[in-house]
Amino acid sequence: MGNKKKKFSIINVLQILTVLLLLIYMQVAVKSGAISKVFLAAPTDIVLEGIKIITDGTLLPHFLVSVSEIVVGYGIAVIAGIGLGLIWTLFPKTEEYGNVFCAAIMAIPKVAILPLLILWFGIGFTSKVVLIFLFSVFTILYNTVTGAKQCKESYLKVARVFEATRTQTVLEVVIPSALPSIFNGLRLAAATAFTGVVFSEMQSAKAGVGYLLSEAQGLLNTPRVFFLIILITIMSVIFVKLITLIEYIFCHQWRSI
Amino acid sequence: MPNISIKDVKKVYEDASGNPVEAIKGIDLNIEDGEFVSIVGPSGCGKSTLLEIVAGLQRQTSGDVFIGDNPVTGTSRDIGVVFQDASLFPWKTIRRNILYGMEVAKVPRDEQERRFSQYIELMNLKGFEDKYPSQLSGGMRQRAGIARTLIMNPKVTLMDEPFSAVDHLTRCTLQEELVRIHQKEKKTVLFVTHDINEAVFLSDRVILLSPRPSVIQREYKINLPHPRSRSDDYLVHIASKIVADISRGAVELDNDYII
Repeated sequence: MGNKKKKFSIINVLQILTVLLLLIYMQVAVKSGAISKVFLAAPTDIVLEGIKIITDGTLLPHFLVSVSEIVVGYGIAVIAGIGLGLIWTLFPKTEEYGNVFCAAIMAIPKVAILPLLILWFGIGFTSKVVLIFLFSVFTILYNTVTGAKQCKESYLKVARVFEATRTQTVLEVVIPSALPSIFNGLRLAAATAFTGVVFSEMQSAKAGVGYLLSEAQGLLNTPRVFFLIILITIMSVIFVKLITLIEYIFCHQWRSI
Repeated sequence: MPNISIKDVKKVYEDASGNPVEAIKGIDLNIEDGEFVSIVGPSGCGKSTLLEIVAGLQRQTSGDVFIGDNPVTGTSRDIGVVFQDASLFPWKTIRRNILYGMEVAKVPRDEQERRFSQYIELMNLKGFEDKYPSQLSGGMRQRAGIARTLIMNPKVTLMDEPFSAVDHLTRCTLQEELVRIHQKEKKTVLFVTHDINEAVFLSDRVILLSPRPSVIQREYKINLPHPRSRSDDYLVHIASKIVADISRGAVELDNDYII
């Protein structure tokens, strides 16, 4: 955006007006009964429902369940994805061996495995963690490996000239130069991890934001559905921004982010 | 300080469609102890290839390269290389970049510090130790690149168009600094450049390579003590002679080599 101050133009005014009109339409249409409460929610009802489930303690346990599933599943995926990427880069034979298996598992639409995961791990915490792991790990792995392969020839020449060992070269030259690609993978995986957790909780679960969402739909509580969709969107955006923040902390000194 | 001897080195490589391309037809060259030799020639004449062969980064198809009595079979800490764009690691500070070679070689910490302060002084980099390469000018980066190589105290130093990416004034300053350092350390230097005035100003001897497949077209001994003046008639005369020889040597030259 540069350092030029953004001007508040007529376009911005129109954009805000459009949103306001949409909200007013929703409010009027629902309150007047023109559209059934089942199909649409009045903005005021959405806000009130949100305040209600936050203050009466309905939301918090489900929220915590979803967050802990994400933290554990995504956390394992980060460690495994970057770890395996490192091993593949250090020992190319292992990539030759493992690549076909990872590519095959990656090709399966993960949601199709969910029935199996539920059979194996039940409808609780574990099956969600495994699904999130499967959703994220390959993106992280392949971004790590691709980033490592794109290491600039001139950096590798410097390492060779100074007689760095293979391990020294990978750890001190190849991986740092792959960081931008690794962080891209982490960001992509963060977004898909969220899809994974919400979907699996909606399918079969005893708790979680996704569970609450499908329950609200079953109870025809449309304001709650709207509120939860907004909440999940915000959580997902914050999660992705968090990854960008970590990247900034690690890298902002030597490149612009 | 040992000499570099290049004995009948040939290089043939395969292009993308698998056809053999003769890059270097056969080069014999002996660089004396402490001598500063520049290689010039038209674009794509194989001068950088020759330098990489001497550095051990590429294998010659036939022939031998010796540093002193030892044949070059791969990279070695006896051979220092300064690259075209400095090739500093952007994620390391200038300090960490300059110390990189010694860290890889596991030189003791106090020795690292001792040499670091010496070379940061020599290359006029004081005050920039904790900056990242992206925060420095091209000239400063190349100073750090040279420091990173010289701090290892290599027996011979190879430089591959080290000043081609910096502006003219900076280049002149860096050339003068290089002369000063060479006068002080008396290291054997093989310097590749496409800038004829630069070659003439810096070197004890200039080697002109022919277009590909390259051979040595001509050698020019430059008998003028340092410090030299850029406008010295003798240097200007040699430079114009080299330019004339280049245009005679090949018809298909790039225009910018014919002044």
